[in-house]
Amino acid sequence: MNIDITVKIGGEAGQGIQSVGQILSFVCQKAGLYVFGINDYESRIRGGHSFFQLRISDKPINAPNNVVNLLVSLDKRTYEIHKNELSINAISVIDSEDLHFNDGILSLPIMKEAIKAGGSQTANIVAAGACLSLLKTPFEFLEEAVHEIFGRKKEMLESNIAAAKIGFQMASSVQFNYAFKWDKNSSKGIIMEGSKAIALGALASDCRFAAFYPMSPATGIMTHLSSFASAYKIPLVVEQAEDELSAINMIIGASFAGVRSMTSTSGGGFCLMTEGLGLAAITETPIVIVNAQRPGPATGLPTRTAQADLLFVIRASQDEFPRFVFAPGTPKEAFDTIIKAFHLSEKYQVPSIVLSDHHFNSSMFLVEEPLNVPPTIERFLAKDEDLENINEYKRFLLTPDGVSKRALPCMGKALVVVSGNEHSEDGHVSEAAQNRINMVNKRNAKLVSMQKEISSPESYYGDSEILIIGWGATKPAIQESINILRKNGINVGSLHFKDLWPFPLEFSEKILKNSKKFFVAEENSTAQLGQLIKEQTGLSYSGAILKYDGRPFFPIEIVNKLTDFLKV
Amino acid sequence: MLNIKDYDNSYENKWCPGCGNFGILNAMKDAFVKLGKYPHEILIVSGIGQAAKTPHFMNCNMFHSLHGRALPIATGAKIANHNLMIIVSSGDGDCYGEGGNHFIHAIRRNIDITVLVHNNKVYGLTKGQASPTADIGVKTKSQPNGVISEPFNPLHIAISLEAGFVARGFSGNKEHLSILIQEGIKHKGFSLIDILQPCVSFNKMNTFNWYKKRVYEIDETSHDMFDYQKAIKLAKEWKDKIPIGILYKNNRASYTEQISSIKDVPLILQKRRIEKEIFL
Ligand SMILES: Cc1ncc(C[n+]2csc(CCOP(=O)(O)OP(=O)(O)O)c2C)c(N)n1
Ligand code: SF4
Repeated sequence: MNIDITVKIGGEAGQGIQSVGQILSFVCQKAGLYVFGINDYESRIRGGHSFFQLRISDKPINAPNNVVNLLVSLDKRTYEIHKNELSINAISVIDSEDLHFNDGILSLPIMKEAIKAGGSQTANIVAAGACLSLLKTPFEFLEEAVHEIFGRKKEMLESNIAAAKIGFQMASSVQFNYAFKWDKNSSKGIIMEGSKAIALGALASDCRFAAFYPMSPATGIMTHLSSFASAYKIPLVVEQAEDELSAINMIIGASFAGVRSMTSTSGGGFCLMTEGLGLAAITETPIVIVNAQRPGPATGLPTRTAQADLLFVIRASQDEFPRFVFAPGTPKEAFDTIIKAFHLSEKYQVPSIVLSDHHFNSSMFLVEEPLNVPPTIERFLAKDEDLENINEYKRFLLTPDGVSKRALPCMGKALVVVSGNEHSEDGHVSEAAQNRINMVNKRNAKLVSMQKEISSPESYYGDSEILIIGWGATKPAIQESINILRKNGINVGSLHFKDLWPFPLEFSEKILKNSKKFFVAEENSTAQLGQLIKEQTGLSYSGAILKYDGRPFFPIEIVNKLTDFLKV
Repeated sequence: MLNIKDYDNSYENKWCPGCGNFGILNAMKDAFVKLGKYPHEILIVSGIGQAAKTPHFMNCNMFHSLHGRALPIATGAKIANHNLMIIVSSGDGDCYGEGGNHFIHAIRRNIDITVLVHNNKVYGLTKGQASPTADIGVKTKSQPNGVISEPFNPLHIAISLEAGFVARGFSGNKEHLSILIQEGIKHKGFSLIDILQPCVSFNKMNTFNWYKKRVYEIDETSHDMFDYQKAIKLAKEWKDKIPIGILYKNNRASYTEQISSIKDVPLILQKRRIEKEIFL
């Protein structure tokens, strides 16, 4: 079979669009199918226009499709806004007083029947029932999902089962071209948002303190962490700080005192955090910061996506110092990257920054690969007995590799002396010219070994003549575009940069030099990775596929743009 | 035997001769010795300013951080390890200006740290601009026509936010200040000690003698420290008579005492726990 259909449910914020998405995803996953869902909403709590778009397939997919096969409008506007995205033979379900099917439009008395079933709030379940009925899903699958979601509340369960049944029956006689045969295969993986994968990574890293100031789309990471902490009573404290300045300084303080700590924010909050980033750097205190990008500058588009902070984060804060910057492309990669970010931050006593974005954080992925928790955590800490002379302990001792022994305050007899002013080896302020040079050199010396920790960008058909280069969460969209382009007979592959700083120089040079031409695909207006590659390797991209309307890439957009480039 | 010399170090002191900061430094060392605390048992966190340099001039664990950010650093450290005895050494610009928002929220959290604010009513390190506590009319190079904004009253604000321990000290009265610091440290919760500190280089008005004539010790036998209204009244007293001592106390639970997972064992001392089912 070759299932690849997209269902879009649109309406006003507050109409329960997400829970329709949740039910559909759940039913599909239980049937052993793959799903990928995007959440699109405005920065408001009620009204406006929002939608959930679910792609269902029998093969792994992690990017949205641009054509819609089944459109469900919970309000009047949705159909008008999205009718141009419909495929041939698509069906649009709209709410009307009675039932009729004409010209691809299926009018159903959704609200009327919902009120009968248990109240207007069950309208979304009626709609979900209709969708699944059109797709020819066995009703038991839906019933099971409703049980799973509302099982604990008996009254809600009954009205929602009734609503699902009504929705299901109303659409049962309608012929839908995209319906397929449902088997009860064993379910694949688990469904999660990108932000949950990041939170799980932090948990697996034994992160014990997280401080944040709420900012979309980063907040979800902290909400997940808080809920783990309260449900499982694990040693983890999540504090909502008064602002981002406080959040980053709190995690620096906690890390200085010895627990692994992180914060998450978005571009505007990261701007405020750059001050603390510098403090972490000069005091050589390990910290992990997740920057979930959204379009800016300033407040920009709060609920939209972007990849435009790359050049900012690799240089953020005044002066020069080493740091790690990562940009994972899938939930599994994000999970592993967070673990790596914590590990390397402690090993080298430098900040680690992980870039995600709105699209990644709020999309629903089906994660198949197991999320492996490291059995042990290496802390790189020094106790009194590891120090030559407790009375002469120097927190910033000059060493060939730039890394000095890190003791913790009040955990032994050695005194830990740290300053954000330029300091000498003993941590006290020093303005001596030679000391300044020594300290800059000490910090920079770490770069040699840090560079060795950086993994090669991942290539996909990497020996092709033409390469499309991307970074971060666009990875699945780019890889899918490669599949389409190759089917069209174009010898093309892709290269995905996950580890971005220190820049993976040797690897990239080797791979890029082997290709005839390379193009970059990024969600910004100036091809930031393209610029970075040029700066670092001297190699120039032949063209840039850029999208900066705040929406994620559809694979076909990359396909079309590249095809245009190749025609010229 | 623990002795005040244990707190001395050889790092060159960089304050002006006669600066009020010296009295505070000595009172701190005296208080630590009287509490029987060794240098390795104390963490001093500071921001930026003359006051914030304090920990460099004594033997202790220290984190000299950024302008205004000592409180979040101290908060994080205390959450990580609430066994730590944390003193914050800050200036009036540092704590009430650049760090004003953190000041309010550290009080709200009632994080168990002791904050010593060296209040010289000027910015010393940046050469004498008015600080948030400067009086109306005070002229400086950057306020040549005199300050027009109402001075920030840290004690009033702290009491109105129900801070756990609110006191005022005077750097010219070392014995009294030492006792305040000891009491502040013993208090379980946020302790503020605003310390009148003459800056001999830039504050020509609030001199040692100016304060000597005005400060008086609050009579502890007649003042109920738990009386909010009386405390507010004392906090507003200034000019001819300036009260020093503990103005206000309350015993609400501190931040870390309220988190069940760390109430007993500090985060740093807990065993790693992997709940497999979370990752399924
Ligand atoms: C972010 C930042 N802004 C400004 C400064 C410059 N600066 C250093 S100390 C200081 C004021 C210090 O005043 P106060 O806290 O009252 O301490 P004092 O020097 O009087 O003890 C300022 C503005 C700085 N170091 N960092
Ligand atoms: S400038 Fe004022 S506060 Fe600073 S050291 Fe000199 S006297 Fe003390």
